[in-house]
Amino acid sequence: MNNFLIVITLALCLLVFVVLYRVVFGPGVFNRIAAISAIGTKTLVILIIFGYFYNRVEMFIDISLVYALLNFIGCVAAAKYLETEG
Amino acid sequence: MIIRGEDIIIKTISRVLVPFIQLYALYVIMHGHYSPGGGFQGGVILGASMVLLFITHGYAEVNRKFSENIAVLFSSIGVLIYSGIGFLCLLLLGNYLDYSKLYKILSVDPAHARSLGILGVEIGVGFAVMAVMFSIFFDISTGGVSPDDEEEAE
Repeated sequence: MNNFLIVITLALCLLVFVVLYRVVFGPGVFNRIAAISAIGTKTLVILIIFGYFYNRVEMFIDISLVYALLNFIGCVAAAKYLETEG
Repeated sequence: MIIRGEDIIIKTISRVLVPFIQLYALYVIMHGHYSPGGGFQGGVILGASMVLLFITHGYAEVNRKFSENIAVLFSSIGVLIYSGIGFLCLLLLGNYLDYSKLYKILSVDPAHARSLGILGVEIGVGFAVMAVMFSIFFDISTGGVSPDDEEEAE
């Protein structure tokens, strides 16, 4: 189980860099917003897996909930900016 | 290119989500001494819920519910709670913010008084942080001049 989770964490970390390419070079703002929110979702899963390793999942779920909320609010704020400036 | 309209999906989702965010913020404040979080973090989440309301529903709606004057009042109340508990400890012959002296008026043993005192201080910090965060966002998004003032000037 531990090895399985370590492999998943490493794969997710690599995928974050793949998505980061879209954030930096992605054509247009829509791609960037979608990519940033995808990075947020991956970070959330990585956080919870870390919580499993430290044997304190409930603590890390608190943190990841806040992360998800702020990710959502940031996404809405970016969309709002696009609405007024586009 | 992008037409401005009635963004009904965003408005509905944020209206459903804001109470849950605020409930979660209260949980973070209340469980500050058992789990990560505390007054500052809970206050930031409370402020974020107000910011979400501001982004989705606009200035007029939020100003009706939670205006900038009320935000300033709340930040002062938060600091008052914090420093009030501190000075109460001074009056009870302890150091500043020495919560264990509060057992004389709370009628519990000193350990419990310490826990309750920290909770009270965290509530004060949460109030202040929420109001100040919202006030900063208010000032940035309106350019420091509220639309009502502009109308009066014209």
